[in-house]
Amino acid sequence: MAERPEDLNLPNAVITRIIKEALPDGVNISKEARSAISRAASVFVLYATSCANNFAMKGKRKTLNASDVLSAMEEMEFQRFITPLKEALEAYRREQKGKKEASEQKKKDKDKKTDSEEQDKSRDEDNDEDEERLEEEEQNEDEEVDN
Amino acid sequence: MAAVAAGSGTPREEEGSSGEAAAPQPQASTSAPGPRLSRLPLARVKALVKADPDVTLAGQEAIFILARAAELFVETIAKDAYCCAQQGKRKTLQRRDLDNAIEAVDEFAFLEGTLD
Repeated sequence: MAERPEDLNLPNAVITRIIKEALPDGVNISKEARSAISRAASVFVLYATSCANNFAMKGKRKTLNASDVLSAMEEMEFQRFITPLKEALEAYRREQKGKKEASEQKKKDKDKKTDSEEQDKSRDEDNDEDEERLEEEEQNEDEEVDN
Repeated sequence: MAAVAAGSGTPREEEGSSGEAAAPQPQASTSAPGPRLSRLPLARVKALVKADPDVTLAGQEAIFILARAAELFVETIAKDAYCCAQQGKRKTLQRRDLDNAIEAVDEFAFLEGTLD
Protein backbone atom coordinates (compact mmCIF):
# COMPACT_ATOMS: atom_id res chain seq x y z
CA MET A 1 0.00 0.00 0.00
CA ALA A 2 1.46 3.33 -1.02
CA GLU A 3 1.60 6.02 1.63
CA ARG A 4 -0.87 8.70 0.69
CA PRO A 5 -0.67 12.17 2.17
CA GLU A 6 -4.05 11.52 3.77
CA ASP A 7 -2.37 8.92 5.94
CA LEU A 8 -0.53 11.67 7.75
CA ASN A 9 -3.04 11.84 10.54
CA LEU A 10 -3.33 14.30 13.32
CA PRO A 11 -3.25 12.83 16.83
CA ASN A 12 -6.48 11.01 17.63
CA ALA A 13 -6.60 12.18 21.23
CA VAL A 14 -6.51 15.83 20.24
CA ILE A 15 -9.12 15.36 17.52
CA THR A 16 -11.41 13.58 19.97
CA ARG A 17 -11.00 16.34 22.52
CA ILE A 18 -11.82 19.05 20.01
CA ILE A 19 -14.92 17.15 18.88
CA LYS A 20 -16.12 16.53 22.42
CA GLU A 21 -15.73 20.16 23.37
CA ALA A 22 -17.60 21.26 20.28
CA LEU A 23 -20.57 19.04 21.05
CA PRO A 24 -22.96 19.17 23.99
CA ASP A 25 -22.33 16.99 27.03
CA GLY A 26 -23.47 13.41 26.77
CA VAL A 27 -22.98 13.21 23.02
CA ASN A 28 -20.70 10.44 21.87
CA ILE A 29 -18.94 9.75 18.66
CA SER A 30 -18.36 6.44 17.00
CA LYS A 31 -14.85 5.29 16.18
CA GLU A 32 -15.54 5.37 12.46
CA ALA A 33 -16.92 8.89 12.59
CA ARG A 34 -13.98 10.10 14.63
CA SER A 35 -11.40 8.63 12.32
CA ALA A 36 -13.29 10.02 9.34
CA ILE A 37 -13.21 13.49 10.89
CA SER A 38 -9.52 13.09 11.56
CA ARG A 39 -8.89 12.21 7.92
CA ALA A 40 -11.12 15.09 6.85
CA ALA A 41 -8.98 17.44 8.91
CA SER A 42 -5.84 16.19 7.16
CA VAL A 43 -7.48 16.64 3.77
CA PHE A 44 -8.52 20.11 4.86
CA VAL A 45 -4.94 21.05 5.70
CA LEU A 46 -3.69 19.67 2.38
CA TYR A 47 -6.35 21.51 0.42
CA ALA A 48 -5.76 24.74 2.33
CA THR A 49 -2.03 24.39 1.79
CA SER A 50 -2.50 23.97 -1.92
CA CYS A 51 -4.79 27.02 -2.10
CA ALA A 52 -2.43 29.09 0.01
CA ASN A 53 0.47 28.05 -2.16
CA ASN A 54 -1.33 29.41 -5.21
CA PHE A 55 -1.54 32.80 -3.54
CA ALA A 56 2.12 32.67 -2.62
CA MET A 57 3.07 31.86 -6.19
CA LYS A 58 0.90 34.71 -7.45
CA GLY A 59 2.88 36.99 -5.18
CA LYS A 60 6.08 35.43 -6.55
CA ARG A 61 7.03 34.21 -3.13
CA LYS A 62 8.42 30.83 -2.25
CA THR A 63 7.41 30.89 1.38
CA LEU A 64 3.82 30.47 2.51
CA ASN A 65 2.85 33.17 4.93
CA ALA A 66 -0.12 33.85 7.16
CA SER A 67 -1.96 36.04 4.68
CA ASP A 68 -1.71 33.33 2.04
CA VAL A 69 -3.53 30.98 4.38
CA LEU A 70 -6.18 33.58 5.17
CA SER A 71 -6.72 34.18 1.47
CA ALA A 72 -7.04 30.42 1.03
CA MET A 73 -9.77 30.33 3.68
CA GLU A 74 -11.73 32.89 1.75
CA GLU A 75 -11.20 30.99 -1.48
CA MET A 76 -12.44 27.80 0.16
CA GLU A 77 -15.55 29.63 1.37
CA PHE A 78 -14.57 29.38 5.03
CA GLN A 79 -14.92 33.09 5.62
CA ARG A 80 -16.31 32.46 9.07
CA PHE A 81 -12.89 31.23 10.11
CA ILE A 82 -11.12 34.40 9.09
CA THR A 83 -11.94 36.58 12.11
CA PRO A 84 -11.07 33.97 14.77
CA LEU A 85 -7.93 33.12 12.83
CA LYS A 86 -6.85 36.76 12.73
CA GLU A 87 -7.34 37.01 16.48
CA ALA A 88 -5.36 33.85 17.05
CA LEU A 89 -2.61 35.16 14.80
CA GLU A 90 -2.34 38.39 16.79
CA ALA A 91 -2.12 36.47 20.03
CA TYR A 92 0.49 34.18 18.51
CA ARG A 93 2.55 37.14 17.28
CA ARG A 94 2.44 38.77 20.69
CA GLU A 95 3.60 35.54 22.26
CA GLN A 96 6.42 35.13 19.78
CA LYS A 97 7.48 38.73 20.30
CA GLY A 98 7.55 38.20 24.04
CA LYS A 99 9.68 35.11 23.67
CA LYS A 100 12.04 36.83 21.27
CA GLU A 101 12.47 39.84 23.54
CA ALA A 102 13.08 37.61 26.51
CA SER A 103 15.83 35.71 24.77
CA GLU A 104 17.33 38.90 23.30
CA GLN A 105 17.33 40.51 26.71
CA LYS A 106 19.13 37.52 28.15
CA LYS A 107 21.68 37.73 25.39
CA LYS A 108 22.22 41.45 25.93
CA ASP A 109 22.56 41.03 29.65
CA LYS A 110 25.17 38.42 28.99
CA ASP A 111 27.06 40.72 26.63
CA LYS A 112 26.84 43.65 29.03
CA LYS A 113 28.29 41.49 31.75
CA THR A 114 31.31 40.49 29.73
CA ASP A 115 31.76 44.09 28.51
CA SER A 116 31.69 45.54 32.00
CA GLU A 117 34.26 43.02 33.19
CA GLU A 118 36.63 44.19 30.50
CA GLN A 119 35.99 47.87 31.25
CA ASP A 120 36.92 47.52 34.90
CA LYS A 121 40.42 46.77 33.76
CA SER A 122 40.54 49.93 31.56
CA ARG A 123 40.51 53.66 32.51
CA ASP A 124 37.61 55.43 34.25
CA GLU A 125 37.03 57.91 31.44
CA ASP A 126 36.23 55.09 29.10
CA ASN A 127 33.69 53.83 31.61
CA ASP A 128 31.73 57.09 31.53
CA GLU A 129 31.57 57.08 27.76
CA ASP A 130 30.43 53.49 27.74
CA GLU A 131 27.73 54.25 30.27
CA GLU A 132 26.33 56.95 28.04
CA ARG A 133 26.36 54.55 25.16
CA LEU A 134 24.52 51.95 27.22
CA GLU A 135 21.84 54.46 28.09
CA GLU A 136 21.34 55.25 24.45
CA GLU A 137 21.03 51.59 23.67
CA GLU A 138 18.38 51.21 26.32
CA GLN A 139 16.41 54.08 24.85
CA ASN A 140 16.61 52.46 21.47
CA GLU A 141 15.29 49.22 22.93
CA ASP A 142 12.34 51.07 24.38
CA GLU A 143 11.51 52.50 21.00
CA GLU A 144 11.53 49.05 19.48
CA VAL A 145 9.23 47.74 22.15
CA ASP A 146 6.73 50.52 21.53
CA ASN A 147 6.71 49.64 17.87
CA MET B 1 -7.25 31.66 31.20
CA ALA B 2 -7.95 31.20 27.56
CA ALA B 3 -10.89 33.60 27.53
CA VAL B 4 -9.05 35.87 25.15
CA ALA B 5 -7.00 33.32 23.31
CA ALA B 6 -9.68 30.78 22.48
CA GLY B 7 -11.84 32.15 19.72
CA SER B 8 -14.43 29.39 20.14
CA GLY B 9 -17.45 30.26 22.20
CA THR B 10 -17.43 27.15 24.39
CA PRO B 11 -16.88 28.23 28.00
CA ARG B 12 -14.41 25.74 29.35
CA GLU B 13 -15.10 26.52 32.98
CA GLU B 14 -18.36 24.61 32.77
CA GLU B 15 -16.66 21.34 32.01
CA GLY B 16 -15.25 19.90 35.20
CA SER B 17 -14.09 16.74 33.49
CA SER B 18 -11.33 18.20 31.35
CA GLY B 19 -8.18 18.15 33.41
CA GLU B 20 -6.43 21.09 31.77
CA ALA B 21 -9.19 23.53 32.59
CA ALA B 22 -8.97 22.77 36.31
CA ALA B 23 -6.55 25.60 37.07
CA PRO B 24 -7.93 29.05 36.25
CA GLN B 25 -4.61 30.33 34.95
CA PRO B 26 -2.06 27.88 33.67
CA GLN B 27 0.95 29.95 34.59
CA ALA B 28 3.36 27.29 33.60
CA SER B 29 6.43 29.48 33.50
CA THR B 30 8.71 26.49 33.02
CA SER B 31 8.34 25.25 29.47
CA ALA B 32 4.82 25.59 28.01
CA PRO B 33 3.56 29.05 26.99
CA GLY B 34 0.75 30.57 29.08
CA PRO B 35 -2.27 30.56 26.76
CA ARG B 36 -2.64 27.39 24.72
CA LEU B 37 -3.05 28.87 21.27
CA SER B 38 -3.37 25.67 19.31
CA ARG B 39 -3.96 22.11 20.39
CA LEU B 40 -2.75 20.38 17.28
CA PRO B 41 0.99 19.77 17.26
CA LEU B 42 2.58 22.14 14.77
CA ALA B 43 5.11 19.50 13.76
CA ARG B 44 2.38 17.23 12.37
CA VAL B 45 0.73 20.09 10.53
CA LYS B 46 4.11 21.00 9.10
CA ALA B 47 4.54 17.41 7.91
CA LEU B 48 1.23 17.65 6.04
CA VAL B 49 2.23 20.95 4.46
CA LYS B 50 5.55 19.53 3.34
CA ALA B 51 3.75 16.57 1.75
CA ASP B 52 2.64 18.94 -0.99
CA PRO B 53 5.28 18.73 -3.72
CA ASP B 54 4.54 22.28 -4.91
CA VAL B 55 5.27 23.86 -1.57
CA THR B 56 8.81 25.09 -1.10
CA LEU B 57 8.71 26.69 2.32
CA ALA B 58 6.11 27.61 4.87
CA GLY B 59 6.53 30.24 7.55
CA GLN B 60 5.89 29.48 11.18
CA GLU B 61 2.86 31.75 11.25
CA ALA B 62 1.36 29.97 8.26
CA ILE B 63 1.75 26.59 9.99
CA PHE B 64 0.19 27.97 13.13
CA ILE B 65 -2.82 29.39 11.30
CA LEU B 66 -3.30 26.14 9.41
CA ALA B 67 -3.31 24.26 12.70
CA ARG B 68 -5.86 26.63 14.17
CA ALA B 69 -7.96 26.49 11.00
CA ALA B 70 -7.93 22.70 11.16
CA GLU B 71 -9.22 22.87 14.72
CA LEU B 72 -12.01 25.22 13.68
CA PHE B 73 -12.79 22.87 10.82
CA VAL B 74 -13.08 19.88 13.16
CA GLU B 75 -15.41 21.83 15.45
CA THR B 76 -17.51 22.96 12.52
CA ILE B 77 -17.90 19.60 10.86
CA ALA B 78 -18.59 17.88 14.18
CA LYS B 79 -21.38 20.33 14.93
CA ASP B 80 -22.87 20.03 11.45
CA ALA B 81 -22.75 16.25 11.65
CA TYR B 82 -24.39 16.41 15.05
CA CYS B 83 -27.37 18.25 13.60
CA CYS B 84 -28.02 15.17 11.46
CA ALA B 85 -27.70 12.84 14.45
CA GLN B 86 -30.06 14.99 16.46
CA GLN B 87 -32.70 14.68 13.78
CA GLY B 88 -32.40 10.92 14.13
CA LYS B 89 -32.76 11.38 17.91
CA ARG B 90 -29.43 9.68 18.44
CA LYS B 91 -26.76 10.69 20.89
CA THR B 92 -23.89 9.07 19.12
CA LEU B 93 -22.40 10.56 16.01
CA GLN B 94 -22.12 7.96 13.28
CA ARG B 95 -20.16 7.89 10.07
CA ARG B 96 -23.32 8.43 8.04
CA ASP B 97 -23.97 11.69 9.89
CA LEU B 98 -20.66 12.89 8.63
CA ASP B 99 -21.42 11.80 5.08
CA ASN B 100 -24.74 13.63 5.22
CA ALA B 101 -23.07 16.78 6.44
CA ILE B 102 -20.52 16.61 3.65
CA GLU B 103 -23.25 16.28 1.06
CA ALA B 104 -25.41 18.98 2.57
CA VAL B 105 -22.82 21.67 3.19
CA ASP B 106 -21.22 23.30 0.15
CA GLU B 107 -17.99 24.16 1.90
CA PHE B 108 -17.39 20.45 2.56
CA ALA B 109 -17.62 19.51 -1.08
CA PHE B 110 -13.86 19.14 -1.30
CA LEU B 111 -14.13 16.16 1.03
CA GLU B 112 -16.28 14.10 -1.28
CA GLY B 113 -14.52 10.92 -2.24
CA THR B 114 -11.56 11.50 0.02
CA LEU B 115 -12.71 9.72 3.13
CA ASP B 116 -13.33 6.28 1.67
